[in-house]
Amino acid sequence: MADSPAFESPVVRSYETSEDGDLLLTDVSATIKWLVRASPDGAVADQLGASFGSSSAAASGATVLGSRPGEWIVLGTAAEAAGAVEGLEGLDSSDLVSCLDWTHGRALFRVTGNEAARMLEKVCSLDWSDPMTPDGAVASASVAKVTCDVARNDVDGTPSYLVFCDRSFGQYLFDALIDAGDEFGLVVGPAGG
Amino acid sequence: MLLVPCPNCGPRNSADLRYGGESHARPDPATAAPLQWRGYLYLRDNPAGWLRETWYCRSGCRRWFTLERNTATNEFRDPPQPGDKRGAKA
Repeated sequence: MADSPAFESPVVRSYETSEDGDLLLTDVSATIKWLVRASPDGAVADQLGASFGSSSAAASGATVLGSRPGEWIVLGTAAEAAGAVEGLEGLDSSDLVSCLDWTHGRALFRVTGNEAARMLEKVCSLDWSDPMTPDGAVASASVAKVTCDVARNDVDGTPSYLVFCDRSFGQYLFDALIDAGDEFGLVVGPAGG
Repeated sequence: MLLVPCPNCGPRNSADLRYGGESHARPDPATAAPLQWRGYLYLRDNPAGWLRETWYCRSGCRRWFTLERNTATNEFRDPPQPGDKRGAKA
């Protein structure tokens, strides 16, 4: 993101923040995000290593999410993400490949805590239990009526979910997640990236 | 609630999908008569029974697919498999 304008989170309201809570909601929209599109069974798919519905770790340290058939989201620091997508567009001349930095176009929130699945199930119709969506699982679904990509990405053994949506829905979705987590004691953590 | 069997995402609430209507073959633009175009654009069979129809998984994989639904009982059959190339105009 070195060549990009300064990042401004879509979450513009201010909240009382804390890092102590059984259920923590954090705005991590500043995380570098790349969207890669290519054939779901070509050389790019082999290199990225994450099939639809799963995630993998790239050699550069970035996290690769198989968000849709033939679509991947690459997350990490600027160097990690750039390392993961470098060379993909020229990897296979017979495949149409596109890599797009959409850091500014998507909001990204992290929900962490043992009650995170129950909270998500209030606003999403998918089954977020361990057998159906273990650590590393990726799905796209409606969350509080907003089309989102959701990835389970546990932190130190604690269930944690990354929720992506279009930037323009960011503030609404953040507030909707706060409402959904209220009964579980959700606290808002300091924004990160 | 209607559970639609998406070939990529599995059973999904129909609210997560968009209904694409009856699936029928598009006539050849080079040879089709006006009556054929009229039938393709405006006429529907609308049976009380099995109907091949198209759906768009808008909240999930964002793919079009076709399957058969019994319009009287809302049962589904013949769902496409992942990678199936049957599209909206199949």
